[in-house]
Amino acid sequence: MLQSIDTRELIALDGLGGPIRGTFHRPQVRNSHPQTARNVRTPGILFLNSLSLPRAATGDSAVHWADSCAEWGYPSIRLDLPGLGDSAGEITTDLLDLINSGGYRSIVAANVDELVERMGLAGVVIIGHCAGSVSALYAAAASRECKGLILMDPYFHLPQMIRPPMRRKLSEWARKSKIGGAASDIYDRWRDLLLLMRGERLPGNANFQLLSSWKRVATTGMPILLLKAPGLKTAGTKSRVGQFDYLQHVTKLAGSKSQVTIKLIEGTDHSFANRVGRAAVRQQIGSWLERYFPLAGSEESAKGATKPTRARDDQRDCIKRQRVSARVGCAAEGGSI
Amino acid sequence: MQGIQFANHLPEHAGYFEVPGAHLYTVLHEVKDPITRVLLVGPFASQRHNSYLPWVRWARFLAANRIEVLRYDYRGIGESTGVFDEMNLKDWSADVQLLSSWLDARSPHVPLLLHGLELGAIFAGRAFHAGIADGLLLWSAPADANKALRSTLMRWVSLEQIFKCAVERRTASDYIRELESGSPQEVEGYLWSTRLWQESFEFSLPAGLATEETAASEYQRPVRIVKLAKDAVPLTNGGTPAHDEFKDFNWLFAPNMEWIVANIPASPKKVSYASIH
Repeated sequence: MLQSIDTRELIALDGLGGPIRGTFHRPQVRNSHPQTARNVRTPGILFLNSLSLPRAATGDSAVHWADSCAEWGYPSIRLDLPGLGDSAGEITTDLLDLINSGGYRSIVAANVDELVERMGLAGVVIIGHCAGSVSALYAAAASRECKGLILMDPYFHLPQMIRPPMRRKLSEWARKSKIGGAASDIYDRWRDLLLLMRGERLPGNANFQLLSSWKRVATTGMPILLLKAPGLKTAGTKSRVGQFDYLQHVTKLAGSKSQVTIKLIEGTDHSFANRVGRAAVRQQIGSWLERYFPLAGSEESAKGATKPTRARDDQRDCIKRQRVSARVGCAAEGGSI
Repeated sequence: MQGIQFANHLPEHAGYFEVPGAHLYTVLHEVKDPITRVLLVGPFASQRHNSYLPWVRWARFLAANRIEVLRYDYRGIGESTGVFDEMNLKDWSADVQLLSSWLDARSPHVPLLLHGLELGAIFAGRAFHAGIADGLLLWSAPADANKALRSTLMRWVSLEQIFKCAVERRTASDYIRELESGSPQEVEGYLWSTRLWQESFEFSLPAGLATEETAASEYQRPVRIVKLAKDAVPLTNGGTPAHDEFKDFNWLFAPNMEWIVANIPASPKKVSYASIH
């Protein structure tokens, strides 16, 4: 058996109780990219598990994105966190609680330091999807070597993994029948009214610890790319009627010096794994890396990606209303009917 | 780290195994003085992701009981290289044959068992039918590959329907009609080709493996056939992410491991390896 092949290498990092397994995607050396020469330090791209999925992610989409980053010249690593995928460890508590309380913060931060040391990286950009974005954000606040963040459909509240059966049935009824749909709209309006009465106060189930990490990271001016999939009954990056607008909130929290870019990925679902989604994510990551982490000597883009635009404008631009599917039982699943 | 327990773990060696046009990702759960070896032929495509954690735990459970295990990803899936939509059932069938040969050649020589789950059970069953291995364990083996694909498709469609309004919903029949008219369809991030769909009808479990009785009379080698029910989610289709993966599967693992220990002969039979193409 081989430990490495042409473009990839299997790696093991130090865990607290056993090895942490991962795949290293070697940066491609191209004539047009002298920055990949050995004496030039480049930032690495680190992909974390999306909730309980193995490191390849839905439809092997993370493999595709890591391959792309390596092709552009960025060393890319996909890791299985302890207790997930091929890494050692048994999760003995609710995984979502573990993640939401920052259970992976210290180990990810330690992994980042180890990668920087072992590979001679100029820091690391951490990419997390859904619950993975929560761990990414916590780790970014804990590691001086984290230089950037890509958060895909992050959430800033404390979701329930298992919804009560009655709630699930109500949701199904609301989606499948006209009367149910109308009832759902009324319910949304009622919740919207409650939101208005609350003013800008955060909901009771907000993840205050995570929001604090966000503020600490974003106010430093660390480049952050936030990718959003279309949601149920939402337009653009706006939240659903009756639900607290966390994106608007975190944008405000980030302050005037922040470098937060928010992009809506249309035509996909929460996994971003379909052909449209994975291509659009690839393009957005490429543009963003080119802008904030340009590789030395890359006058031309090898990514086929368009020039990036400032992010916050997208909240106004992306108004196309679309309903798409999402993975059932996902951490970010909302509480509306 | 709170919330995560680290038991004494046995050596696990991840590696790439070269096959024509691709590299298979493999993990060998190495055992000193093994009593037998098992090749795990796992669930297919998107089902791999849902069942990964209990599947790894099963491999560790076997290794802890002196049974050496090799598990792997099919060509074009997971950590293996290759393009999924360019592969076919014969390619994935060949993976079983190649890895069986490699595992069987390890020292010391001990009996080899094939264990397949769902579509993997068909691959394992066909390899066993061709003379490979000293024993066979099947979990939820469908009669043919199309039934496995159909089951995955039904699950995908039901997930999609939950989040779509009536006019946007596509039924399983819609997907099948498109596939049969030559249009590839995306199912949980994998592009299913018309060729894959069509060949899946002909790719069946050997008739002798329909029941343990027929298998006993036809093969004279131990065969165990287990039908998994809903309590085996997410090893079978369904389940809630981050919830079902961590449940206790010892009720399933222990009796199957005991069957392996009790039924796989100490001296492996000499069987001639035949082509399974």
